[in-house]
Amino acid sequence: MTSERASVATAFAMNSVGEACTDMKREYDQCFNRWFAEKFLKGDGSGDPCTDLFKRYQQCVQKAIKEKEIPIEGLEFMGHGKEKPENSS
Amino acid sequence: MRIWSCEHVFGHPWDTVIKAAMRKYPNPMNPSVVGVDVLERAVDGRGRLHSLRLLSTEWGLPGLVTAILGTSRTLTYIKEHSVVDPAEKKMELFSTNVTLRNLVSVNERLVYAPHPEHPGKTVLTQEAVISVEGTGLGRYLESLMASTISSNARKLLTNGGRGGRRRAARRQAQKGVGEDAPALPVWERSLRLCLHCPGTREALRIPP
Repeated sequence: MTSERASVATAFAMNSVGEACTDMKREYDQCFNRWFAEKFLKGDGSGDPCTDLFKRYQQCVQKAIKEKEIPIEGLEFMGHGKEKPENSS
Repeated sequence: MRIWSCEHVFGHPWDTVIKAAMRKYPNPMNPSVVGVDVLERAVDGRGRLHSLRLLSTEWGLPGLVTAILGTSRTLTYIKEHSVVDPAEKKMELFSTNVTLRNLVSVNERLVYAPHPEHPGKTVLTQEAVISVEGTGLGRYLESLMASTISSNARKLLTNGGRGGRRRAARRQAQKGVGEDAPALPVWERSLRLCLHCPGTREALRIPP
C-alpha cells in the first residue's frame, strides 16, 4: 500500500530541467508547498525553513541551464540583474 | 501582433485557488509542460512572495516543422515571474518565452483575485500578446496561435473537470480574436502545441 501511494505521488510530481536535479526539486517543492499553505498565506512570511534545500537545488539547476545553453542569463529579478548564474547565493 | 484576453471564475476562495495554482503542473490538460524549476524566490519588503520559474515545454513537432523553423530543438523554455500578495489577496504572473524569440514572442499576464461580488469565489484574468517575426507566414501564425489560446480557453471553461468537480465559468469575455479553431492537418495541430498558456489549459486540482 505504501509503495502504491509512493508511486502515485511520483506520478503526479513534475521533473526538473536537469535530470539530476529532479529529486532535489521534489524535496524542495514539498517543503515550499507546506510553508506556503500553512505559513505564508496565513500572514507569516518569515522564517522560510526551505533555504538549505533551495540552495542545493538551485545550484544543480543553474548548472543544468548552463549545460543546456538555455538563454536565461542577464535576467532581472526583484531589481537585481543576474549576469553570472553561478554567483547566486 | 495579436491581443487576447479572457476571464474565468473559480467557485472557490482565493487561498484555495492560489494553493492549487502554485501546484498546477503536472497538468493533464497541458501535458506539453514537462519540467518546472524555481530559479529565484524571495519575499520583498512589502511581504509579497516573488518567484522566478523556468518551464520546459515539449512541442512534439514533426520533423518537417522543425526543419522549416530551422531548429533541432523540440523543447521551448518559458520564464514566469509571479508575485503573491497575501494581504491584498492578489497573485500576478507574467510569462514569456525565452527560446525562439527570433520567431515568436508570447507574453502572458494572469491575475488571480477574489471575486468583487462573491467573497467565496476567485476571478482569473488572462491577457496574452503574441507577436510573430517575419513576413508572410507571420500573420497566419499569429492568427493560429491566438485562436489556439481562444479554443483552449473555451475547452477549459466548458470542461467538467475531474472527480465530479465542475469548474464552469460564470462569465467569459474575449477581445481581439474571435476565430473558431478550424479542423487542421497534423502538422498544424502540432505547431499549436508550441504555445504555452499557463492559465488556459489548466484544470486546477482544487484539494478537498
